[in-house]
Amino acid sequence: MKIVGIAACTSGIAHTYIAREKVMKAATELGYEIHMETQGTIGTENELTSDQIKEADFVLLVVDIKIGGRDRFKGKRVVEVSTNTAIKAPKKLLEAVVTKIQNA
Amino acid sequence: MLKKLQLKKHAMTAISYMLPLVVAAGLLIAIGNLTGGQVITNFKSGYSIPSALTTLGVWGMGLLAPVISAAIAYSISDRPGIAPGLLSGIISYNIGAGFLGGMLGGFLTGWLVAFLVKYIKVPKWAEGLKPMMVIPLLSSLIMGVVMFFVIGQPIVWATNALTSFLNSMQGSARFVFGALLGGMASFDFGGPVNKVASLFADGLLLQGVKQPEAVKILASMVPPFGVTISWVLSKIFKHKIYSQEEEDNIKVAFPMGIVMITEGVIPIAAVDVIRMVVSCSLGAAVGGGLSMTWGIESPVPSGGLFIVPAMNKPLLFLLALLIGSVVTGLILFAWKKKPSEEPKKEEESEEDIDLGDIRIS
Repeated sequence: MKIVGIAACTSGIAHTYIAREKVMKAATELGYEIHMETQGTIGTENELTSDQIKEADFVLLVVDIKIGGRDRFKGKRVVEVSTNTAIKAPKKLLEAVVTKIQNA
Repeated sequence: MLKKLQLKKHAMTAISYMLPLVVAAGLLIAIGNLTGGQVITNFKSGYSIPSALTTLGVWGMGLLAPVISAAIAYSISDRPGIAPGLLSGIISYNIGAGFLGGMLGGFLTGWLVAFLVKYIKVPKWAEGLKPMMVIPLLSSLIMGVVMFFVIGQPIVWATNALTSFLNSMQGSARFVFGALLGGMASFDFGGPVNKVASLFADGLLLQGVKQPEAVKILASMVPPFGVTISWVLSKIFKHKIYSQEEEDNIKVAFPMGIVMITEGVIPIAAVDVIRMVVSCSLGAAVGGGLSMTWGIESPVPSGGLFIVPAMNKPLLFLLALLIGSVVTGLILFAWKKKPSEEPKKEEESEEDIDLGDIRIS
């Protein structure tokens, strides 16, 4: 399973990065390949490349606010959750999404 | 229905765009005021650097309503929302509907623009004109009329009513209000609940009500200071309540707290949510209640300890902050368990959350 995603929270200095770390750690433990971009107050970091997006099985948006560059994901499966959800239960979240996709 | 409107997400987007402006403008006012600056009214006679800074800060505050309005409209309807959003916001600022008017104006503008973009059909030769002229003109015209003649005055009235209500509060009502606001502001360490309280205080500041702002500043600093106090107590009494890792986090959280960034305590709170939230909210509530009771005002919305001299009663503010932090520190010290010595297990337990309504689009 290959995943790309974006994390962005309201103040853009803490939850964004905590969420990224949690999700990346959970994904790695589950054996998925993942790339997460952050859109914090400082701007975009770890920007996703078009190859990463092209190869991804789905897009995981961990966001509380409007994000930039959403049109990059046209035609892809997109899942959107709050940073709160991803921080509280990153593994369960990923498992739930993957199950849904495989059953779809 | 409400969920579909995504009110929260749009408001949060506005807050995230607004924060850097509030901080910059607030600090400029603080630096200007502290060095003797005043708002410049006559640019023909010379002016000093402090006065220039104060003036810039005040202008920056004036931009808040337009920025909020534009950001909400952008969040709803993307780029076409920005121009009419700015206009709705500046109407709100100038007629005195302030911050509330900016928020409402932003939502209406965003929905209107989204509607226009979707339903206005133009002949092929005019397709270039649609984003360039039709949408901006129509949306600005409609929103202009609506803001000036329909929703503007009721909001001005509501804002004034709220302002005079807050100013007329006495005695225990003041304490309760301060406690509630303080508790909310520290409840989730800089998360959404804090931002709501913060938004409320910033909005009132624009209306000239400066006391809630002092409560907000106090409550944002209570969690890091309270945690630090409990840690110092644990050192003094040799009663270990933090693991080595948590102690390192506290050493980072404290300096962040000085500049009013509460988020530093999140790593500590994440492993012990209930105790941290309860103790920090209680401490902030006590401090906030005292701050309101003593009538402490802050003309500046952000900046932590550095802007305390700009307040009307700096020493009382520090006292309220100290009392609040000590309350938090004492509760934590008494309530927190000894950390388990073995290194934390990698398999962290996850909370149960409702993942049933996840949609894959």
